[in-house]
Amino acid sequence: MRAEERSGWLLSAPYVAFLLAFALYPVVFALVLVFLRWDLVTEPAFAGGDNLRLLAHDGRFWQAVGNTFVFLSIHLPLQLVTALALALALNRPLALRAFWRAAFFLPVVISGAVVAILWSALYATDVGLINRLLVRVGLAPVAWLTNPATAMPAIAAMVTWKNVGFYVIIYLAGLQYIPRSCLEAIELEGATAWQRFRHVTLPMLLPQTILVVTLSTINGFQLFIEPYVMTGGGPLRRTYSIVLYLYTNAFSYQKMGYAATIGVALAAIIGAVVLVQRRLIGKAEAL
Amino acid sequence: MPSVSFEHVSKRFGDTTVVDDFTLDVADGELLVLVGGSGSGKSTILRMLAGLETVTSGTIRIDGRDVTALPPRDRDVAMVFQDYGLYPHMTVRENLSLGLRLKKVPRQEIDRRIAWAVGILGLESLLDRKPKQLSGGQRQRVAMGRAMVREPKVFLFDEPLSNLDAGLRAQMRIEIGSLQRRLKTTTIYVTHDQVEAMTLGDRIVVLADGRIQQLGRPIDIYRAPANRFVAGFIGTPRMNFLEGRIHHEDGAPAFVAEGLRFDVPREDVASVGAVTLGVRPEDLLIPSPSDQRPSTVTGRVVLVERLGGITHVHFDAGPHRLMAALPNDTAVTVGDDITLGIRTERLHLFDADGRSHL
Repeated sequence: MRAEERSGWLLSAPYVAFLLAFALYPVVFALVLVFLRWDLVTEPAFAGGDNLRLLAHDGRFWQAVGNTFVFLSIHLPLQLVTALALALALNRPLALRAFWRAAFFLPVVISGAVVAILWSALYATDVGLINRLLVRVGLAPVAWLTNPATAMPAIAAMVTWKNVGFYVIIYLAGLQYIPRSCLEAIELEGATAWQRFRHVTLPMLLPQTILVVTLSTINGFQLFIEPYVMTGGGPLRRTYSIVLYLYTNAFSYQKMGYAATIGVALAAIIGAVVLVQRRLIGKAEAL
Repeated sequence: MPSVSFEHVSKRFGDTTVVDDFTLDVADGELLVLVGGSGSGKSTILRMLAGLETVTSGTIRIDGRDVTALPPRDRDVAMVFQDYGLYPHMTVRENLSLGLRLKKVPRQEIDRRIAWAVGILGLESLLDRKPKQLSGGQRQRVAMGRAMVREPKVFLFDEPLSNLDAGLRAQMRIEIGSLQRRLKTTTIYVTHDQVEAMTLGDRIVVLADGRIQQLGRPIDIYRAPANRFVAGFIGTPRMNFLEGRIHHEDGAPAFVAEGLRFDVPREDVASVGAVTLGVRPEDLLIPSPSDQRPSTVTGRVVLVERLGGITHVHFDAGPHRLMAALPNDTAVTVGDDITLGIRTERLHLFDADGRSHL
């Protein structure tokens, strides 16, 4: 082996080891687990296609898939609109701009469990701040987390709030990349503020939009800590997410093989959805 | 009625005055060039006219209408930007038509105007391309086409050629000039390049520190710069300057500087003391039997630049470094002593304030 080759292997060895131990091994292990029955205590046993057959007919799993899509259908549009609106606001000359930018980013770095507990208090039916405000303006209080109709939307709103700062940064970077002359040119051509946004700003943020959609889809499918802490999957299992169902099978029922099967199915669903999104949104290469 | 007029327009950013009491009338159909170095305020003046920059004080009129407080979209001006400002996600056709579509111009009229502009600019084959797929010169033409289809009252050019290489710049300069003469639309053109200013402008405004230094036809400014700044800024190669004094000996004025003395046989030289004398490189000549000049300057050659058509000879006359633009066949080498005749009728004298004296 030539010296150059040897040093090449040596230099990449730490990362290769890391990748093998923490990425490739778990993936392969999960794929193997799909075909095993294992309760963490006794020896694993070969299960053939049992786990896959169970998954196909497991109403609770498909309900969790449905719940997660409900979550995404609220969270994705809300995340896009709030992130873009905040980025546009924070991109303007503004008093205390650095403070506002930091304030909106802060929830991103706070632990999800802490945020969930905090928002449980905000959403509390009798003493929660949100309901107190509603009552003050003469509205009836809402049982945010205990009403099956509002529980998932409430969680989606909270997750959006927690993550918005991250996506704002992506949009802010994109906004700063738009040449000033493009915006001035369209302004001279007679465009109103809305037309400037519609014809220049928004299309030129397409790469950022694709990134935000993809990342928040991947994150959204992994919804877990919020329902785990705030609702335990209820009421009426309406906030049971895919990952929460996976967690329950693995660590409450000790069904590691089935949990791994759910995990592999989740990965496949995410891959398929992101692929469809890319087709729908169009090609970023257009820019 | 002037097409564009600035009346005592000033612009301040905090304590910094960028444009100071700028007053100017631009005639209908004129191509006026604002030229100056960076920080001269030339771009700010253009942007105030476009409405992209607010005016601190003063009034701007377009066709007699006060537009000082109007937003850019109500001013009916079109601008070509230094980086072109094309919409990267749109094709050339969409770039050209967007402004008209926003104004709800009928489809047929849009097509007619695009066909007209595209024909003049030679963009026919590029209509379906995106800006990224165009060369610098093509982007430049699209930017001009986008301005043309609007049929605005005024064209504004903000250093439109500075992103092009030298050859293309010369070509586009010629195209812009002929296009403007053809369209006869009032045009204000901003540049830091005095060659562009000299070749394009019907009139040029030389700016420094936010103030007009001189306004006039290019050749008039070249021949009679109002002050030392303009003399040094306009003209390549740059004018030579000598610090010295004017003495009157037996009624005949002479210029005296350290290690240097020559007659200035002109009646218009008033009796003055400390002056700066300016002489353009082409006004220093090799004496020939047919052209004997009484005033001469002698020095030692330190650098010879042969440009082909002409030769730039740098020489030291005493402590003064001068440059002469001589014919290409001039036989001089570094270290030679040369004596050159001075076209005294084309000398410039500037007083201590830098104002012209002749």
